[in-house]
Amino acid sequence: MLHGAPFFFTEVTMNKALRNPLTYLLFVLPALLLFLAFFIYPVFTAVYNSFTSWNGISQDKAWIGLGNYTTALDDAAFWQSVKNNGYFILFSCLIQVPVIIIFSLLIAQVKKLKGLYKTAVFLPSIMSTAVIGILWGFIYHPDFGLMNEALGLLGIEPVYWLSDRKWAMLAILITNSWQWTGFYIIMVLAAILSIPAELEEAAVIDGATGLQRALRITLPLILPIISVVIMLSIAGAMKAADIVLVMTKGGPAGSTDVMATYMIRYAITSFKHGFGNSIAVLIFVFTILITAAYQLLVARRVERMDSR
Amino acid sequence: MRTVKQTIPHVFLMGYLLVILYPFLFVLFSSVKTSNQEIAASPFGWPSAIQWDNYINAWVNAKISTYFFNSLYIGILSACLSILFAAMLAFAISRMRYHRTSALLFQLVLLGMLIPNNALLLPIYGMMRQLDILDTHLALIVPYTANAIPFTVIILTAFMRSIPGEIEEAAVMDGLRPAGLFAKIILPLTIPAIVTIFIINFLGNWNEFLLANYFLSNDALKTLPVGMVGFRDAYNTNYAQMSAGIVFSVLPVMIIYAILQEKIIEGVTAGSVKG
Amino acid sequence: MRKDIVKLTLLLLTASVITAGCAGSNAPANGGNNGNSGGTGTETNGENNTQPEDEPFEITIRHTQVGESKKFRLAMLEDVVKQTEADIPGLTIKLDGVDSEVNRKEKLRGEMAAGKPPEVFDVFGSPDAALFAKEGLMLDLTPIIAELGIQDQFTTLDPFTYEGKVYGLPIGGSVEGYFYNKQYFEDKGLTIPKTLSELEQIAEAIKTDGKIPFAQSSKDAWIPLMTTNNLWSYYGGPEITYGFKSGETKWTDPSVVEGVAKHQEWVQKGYFKKGELGFEYADMRNQIITGEAMMMMDGSWANSVFRDPEQAGDMVGKIGYFNMPPVKEGDPVVVMQDANNGYGFSAAVADDPQKLAAVKAFIGNMWTEEMQLRGLEEDGVLPAMKIDLEKMKTASEDPLMQDIFAAVSEIDISFPAFDALVQADVNTALSIGIQQIIGGEGTPESMLETVQSAQESANAAEQ
Repeated sequence: MLHGAPFFFTEVTMNKALRNPLTYLLFVLPALLLFLAFFIYPVFTAVYNSFTSWNGISQDKAWIGLGNYTTALDDAAFWQSVKNNGYFILFSCLIQVPVIIIFSLLIAQVKKLKGLYKTAVFLPSIMSTAVIGILWGFIYHPDFGLMNEALGLLGIEPVYWLSDRKWAMLAILITNSWQWTGFYIIMVLAAILSIPAELEEAAVIDGATGLQRALRITLPLILPIISVVIMLSIAGAMKAADIVLVMTKGGPAGSTDVMATYMIRYAITSFKHGFGNSIAVLIFVFTILITAAYQLLVARRVERMDSR
Repeated sequence: MRTVKQTIPHVFLMGYLLVILYPFLFVLFSSVKTSNQEIAASPFGWPSAIQWDNYINAWVNAKISTYFFNSLYIGILSACLSILFAAMLAFAISRMRYHRTSALLFQLVLLGMLIPNNALLLPIYGMMRQLDILDTHLALIVPYTANAIPFTVIILTAFMRSIPGEIEEAAVMDGLRPAGLFAKIILPLTIPAIVTIFIINFLGNWNEFLLANYFLSNDALKTLPVGMVGFRDAYNTNYAQMSAGIVFSVLPVMIIYAILQEKIIEGVTAGSVKG
Repeated sequence: MRKDIVKLTLLLLTASVITAGCAGSNAPANGGNNGNSGGTGTETNGENNTQPEDEPFEITIRHTQVGESKKFRLAMLEDVVKQTEADIPGLTIKLDGVDSEVNRKEKLRGEMAAGKPPEVFDVFGSPDAALFAKEGLMLDLTPIIAELGIQDQFTTLDPFTYEGKVYGLPIGGSVEGYFYNKQYFEDKGLTIPKTLSELEQIAEAIKTDGKIPFAQSSKDAWIPLMTTNNLWSYYGGPEITYGFKSGETKWTDPSVVEGVAKHQEWVQKGYFKKGELGFEYADMRNQIITGEAMMMMDGSWANSVFRDPEQAGDMVGKIGYFNMPPVKEGDPVVVMQDANNGYGFSAAVADDPQKLAAVKAFIGNMWTEEMQLRGLEEDGVLPAMKIDLEKMKTASEDPLMQDIFAAVSEIDISFPAFDALVQADVNTALSIGIQQIIGGEGTPESMLETVQSAQESANAAEQ
């Protein structure tokens, strides 16, 4: 009883104090307006414009239905750009993720210099992509670049990294993973270091080798964070544009175009604003599809394993 | 045997370190070499004579100071605005008693995390045009502020929810109204999360290239990434000077990183795990 | 009657200025606008002079003279601005400098979409100006240039003409041809080629000597396309390019294929630097300056680089220029020559007699023989107005300029660059196509088929 009265009193006062429509509105409005203006409204205008042949200048926008979409889906160059987004995803899942796991396990193991490794590995992630693109453009330079000189030491003929369509995409992917691998290593490392020490110790007593411990104990425990890493890589892959623009402008011959740079090429340089918007919508749709597919097929399973 | 076992990881890690750090070193060496020929002749080697002229020329030609301060103030201002607006929304969602509306709002904001904002370049360009703020810094500050809102709201809401209710009860008893509660109690308690988010938002803005490239054309207004690409395009035949330019643009970030590295690493990783 | 109204308004205006004093500074501005709209109907120029002369107003000129290499051009513009400000009382001209490519591709297009370009702006003739004119955004200059008596003095106004009316004026002209290392040619006993096969023999000789015959940077496709465009214009005749848009000719025509195939053959024979597909524009000039490459197809505007010791170093004075030679000796010399970059004016200027007067004065001061010769002398830009070749020769004694003048005098048929004659998306398709060819992928036939289908859908979209 004695406790009930003040509780009742507080509830009423709190509700009164924290239920004020005007205050609520004032607190919600600035962020909400910005959110609606920059996330929701643009999606609708993009969808609307994607059904027109608007050139970006004219006052009248001719409605052409699905015309832009059929043009895009019939265009081999568009599919090339989709493929390149796919390469971004594949490269991060098949090459970057194993590297991330191996190196975070290694850093977790060592006792000395751990701080140095953490600091250095993370460094590229705080640099601007544009500056990294410039730096690597220099590294890939056929005459003065570090890459060809290094290959030359091994007796390999110079490779025209950014001018040869066989290599240009790979060159960009390498640069991209150089920038981001360290970032993910630090994330995974944090997860490894948060594993209770008792588990490890118990395994050591049981006589498990380092490799066995890594595979049987650490790896299953960090699967959820690896799932997050993959998710973030996919999101990053769908957004990639600046690194391509800075390093190759989508060339040579459109071979390194990703969807976003393809969109820019057509919408801004060719007066095909309506078409560009249809690409924007397609990027949106693809992103949602991939995210949903990943969530349904992979992430759920990981969660189930996690809860087991 | 034990020592061998302990050195093997170090060998691999040192190799990785080399891959990460050597490009920076390469640029540093190249920046004091006399010419492209010298770079080509010994890309791995020390420069024969140190050529500081490259730095002077790069400083003059690349206008690094202008770009740097543009990036700095746009980055800080936008990050602060995002945090202020998002914190207000997060406060309303997590602490005020409109649970049903708040749940709906939160779902809506979550949806924002799914929207790839690169794809919205064209409509946002159109909006900036209609507002007639293209080619002013507002054309970056407003979208940058908006772009960070979903993420910031989500993190701050989670954080504010974890603040125990007793604290605000005491405050309300003392006669504080919601605005006062927000400013005097909740916001100060949220500072650790805010610092983290500030770093993430600031780095995002600092490095942003796409909008900055297409929304600004006046050279005096450009941000560092765009300015550097312009510098590269104009002076790309002189790699020594270009390297000096890269050093200038990388150095401030390295210094900030050296001072704040623990906080930055913690901030960026914590943020992305939760997001 | 109208004149009387104007005078009456003026009278009232003056009275109100006197009575209102300083505090009334807003009132005269409004009154002035009324007076202006009253005067819009009066077409005669003389009436404009009776406009309130002391009323300050401002116009903005968007120019692209930014950076070290354009300092001479900027000085000329500044002189014209000073002169115009002196001519028109009350006028202040604001200069707004923006990088050329940014202005063309982003800034101006954005302003046009918003319907408010600056009063005066740097603009590309074809296809940009026509697109803006079609939307009614550009000032019709036909009556103005007639009034100033300069309508027949331009080499060509075609790029700026839309449905018979002139919407812009070119600031200078240019030709495209080969810059070459004169010193090297002399040392090796090479002479300027008279036929394409002679050009190829020279290229072969240079290659055998271990040097690069042609400097080229193909990261931006318009650079290699200067060569391709000239080649197909030799094989198919320059008129073939005009027919793509109307459907009379096709990109798949054997002569166009031959032109592209010739360019491809040169790539395959190793006449260009390996890896140049990833190089920027500045790189190819650098190949000439460092003596790595011996010839370079570029626009005549590049002469300013080779005449500037700061940029070209020791190469100053050692570079010459010749036209791409015809297939057979004695055939007409066919060269890309155009005047596609200049100034346009906002349609909104027509509603404001003061601004209209300012624009007229600007045009009158900018497009004179004196300014054209000055541009040639200081900046190496060929005149856009008809000027006696002899006069041009005396304007600049620089040997490279003399080479260019000589080359211009040899031209039998000139043609505008292909991108002025086809739609922007055809340009995009061909740009990707030529990079594929240089990258050693696909055949000229299949590449041109893709371009032709882009052409057909662009043509269909226009109807």
